[in-house]
Amino acid sequence: MALPHIFEASWPDPTKLGVDSKSAAVLLNESKETFAGHLKVRSDEINFLGEPNLGFYLGIAGLLSTDSRLVYSNIDRMEIFAIADSLGPNSSPLQLKASKTGQIDFAGLAPKNLATLQLCNRETGTIQSQRELNCESVFVDATASGIRIPLPQNWSTALWESTSWAGPSGLGILAVSKKANWKNPLPHLDSRINPGPTSLPLIVASALAIDSWAADEKNLSAKIAAINLDIRNYITNNIPDSDLAPHGADHLISASFLYVNAEQLVTTLADKGFAVDSGSACSATNMQPSHVLAALGVLTQGNIRLTIHHATTFDEVKTFLEVLKATVEELRK
Amino acid sequence: METLDCLGKRCPLPIIEVAKKIADQDPGFKVLLLSDDPASAPDLVAWARMTGNSVEVIDQKTFEITKSAN
Repeated sequence: MALPHIFEASWPDPTKLGVDSKSAAVLLNESKETFAGHLKVRSDEINFLGEPNLGFYLGIAGLLSTDSRLVYSNIDRMEIFAIADSLGPNSSPLQLKASKTGQIDFAGLAPKNLATLQLCNRETGTIQSQRELNCESVFVDATASGIRIPLPQNWSTALWESTSWAGPSGLGILAVSKKANWKNPLPHLDSRINPGPTSLPLIVASALAIDSWAADEKNLSAKIAAINLDIRNYITNNIPDSDLAPHGADHLISASFLYVNAEQLVTTLADKGFAVDSGSACSATNMQPSHVLAALGVLTQGNIRLTIHHATTFDEVKTFLEVLKATVEELRK
Repeated sequence: METLDCLGKRCPLPIIEVAKKIADQDPGFKVLLLSDDPASAPDLVAWARMTGNSVEVIDQKTFEITKSAN
């Protein structure tokens, strides 16, 4: 279904009684079933969010009780740092430190703890190997992993971002397990979990995207892995004074170059047709270096973050790497 | 010991200046870097790991750098 058709069919409010609303409700339910199948959760555990990052607060604060303690890590998203900061003085949240390879040791968790588990780091691609956590409540950050990594058995709440399966931006999915002791932390009068309403056209478009992404991933994951290896080998062998974050998920690479200004690097690459992100201080709105790179001991200056998409080709990558090498050399002069 | 004042300079300038400063010096040469750039503390440690030089973090704005033998 093309986007204009989606808008045509899904403009009515699916909660109303008219005929058009009934067909919109059918579309909504079909989409929920599609997501439930891919995310491996029940369709009645699925909640859509028009502001994906609101899901960090809903998913975590909804699980906190007066006697639980939040345990998170120093490579978690800044949204989680903000939640930890906002808790009262008696809650004493605990920040665990990642090892140099990005692994978190959850061995000291107490049963009453609420732990956050980041399946995959969106900057470095670091995948947590310890995913079955021994505590009452677990918030799972699946925003970067999408459907690449399955949920752990004892998840309580989990957050996805539609962009991770090449769906439209501005849509998150928060799953709240039927087994979780979750209470809505926002002011509310009914049992709805998200304040809503969420754009039905975006939901339908994202459901189509996740189906097609999952089908492509089966055929293309080997290509993405090979491209990842090519990029790592090229940078290591051909660009001196470079620092790569440890290999994690194949679709993400974080590389830093000594003596290079990242803002110049990103804008020069953009001028040459390559869109890359950066974790360096000079390209951040708050002028702080990436807390993830700093935690892993990876160089933060001259940093670029690469995402390898299904459509990325070996030829494109070859050209990109040559341009990258020349640009780094030019900027170092 | 010489002092290299990079206060107010943003990344990657402080580390570029350190590298220039020690380039023509003998192994064991020491320089004291003053830098208030938030990237300096993590990046000097990474730079030392990558280049073999050593860095002692005295406080968040003061770093003692020693040139290595290689």
